[in-house]
Amino acid sequence: MSSALWLAVAVSALGTLLMRVVPFLWMQRRLNSTTGLNNMPQWLGILGPLMIAAVLGVSIVPVNPSAVSWTATAIGLSVTLLVWSRVRSLGWPVAAGVGVFGLVEVAALIW
Amino acid sequence: MNQAASHSPLRSALQGVRESIPLLGGYIPVALSFGLVATQAGFSTLEATAISALIYAGASQFLFVGMIATGAPLWLVVVMTLLINVRHVVYGPNLAALLPRSRHWPWLMHGLTDQVFALALTRLPQLPEAKRFSWFVGASLLAWGAWIIGTAVGATAGEAFTARWPLLGEIMPFALPALFLTMVAPRFTDKRWAVAMGCTILAALGLTLVGWSNVAIPLAAACGALCFYMLKFQNKRCEQ
Repeated sequence: MSSALWLAVAVSALGTLLMRVVPFLWMQRRLNSTTGLNNMPQWLGILGPLMIAAVLGVSIVPVNPSAVSWTATAIGLSVTLLVWSRVRSLGWPVAAGVGVFGLVEVAALIW
Repeated sequence: MNQAASHSPLRSALQGVRESIPLLGGYIPVALSFGLVATQAGFSTLEATAISALIYAGASQFLFVGMIATGAPLWLVVVMTLLINVRHVVYGPNLAALLPRSRHWPWLMHGLTDQVFALALTRLPQLPEAKRFSWFVGASLLAWGAWIIGTAVGATAGEAFTARWPLLGEIMPFALPALFLTMVAPRFTDKRWAVAMGCTILAALGLTLVGWSNVAIPLAAACGALCFYMLKFQNKRCEQ
């Protein structure tokens, strides 16, 4: 890799880091300030959970989309939701969802 | 067990590590793929691993090596990489009130990816304040480490690995939607949030299916926010 390419990596890395750290530090300073601007803007608090929903939407698409993988996804998500509604935690619903998703994929491969 | 022991930094960090394990189901296959794609684009194992360690943002890394491989000008590669990562600007402010002040944030925030943000925003409010810093360190370091190691393995043995266990690369990533579903599910008890969330999920899904996955997250979230505010407006009109 040429030095110009290393520089491109360094600038991209630094720029990405600044986008992660500067708004965080700015908000922490604002929250602790005495100027009265100590609340997070409402739109920002709404955007946070919606970003998670967007990440969910993006990750729903299977690695290799096909009728089988979409069916496995639908069944896997249903099982995840069902287990979550009973235990209300993160670990078991994910394990159950992945297990059932894998079973459907393997079953489709065998048949 | 006394209070001090239950809040020991190591214990809290290990809790963060344990709770971020489901993220690896999505990280490892994608990191393996990135290592493989980067070497096929002419990067060495060391270079691919360095890109993962330094930039540490999945979609933009694929774009970076892809554009370099096609001979795009370096300034354009950097601009496009940064544009894809602009969405990270929203993540930090959402966590600011949940995390204590520390001089370590300038380097620790390097670990704030889409997935770590989602996990942190869900879990941090449920944890005692004394645990949160160490929890974040544990969760983000595990994810970062897995991403780097996955890239190195993908660059050295990615082809053999995917040929030997092809189904594993399809099954493991399902951990991500399953995890995110358990994170958004509690919001569905409120009608207004349910509509905004549903709108966001469908928009992100649609944008990804038409090949716009790079901009799907910010666009879909903006779409959901619009839904959220429009619904409030309609309710007000009904009340009048």
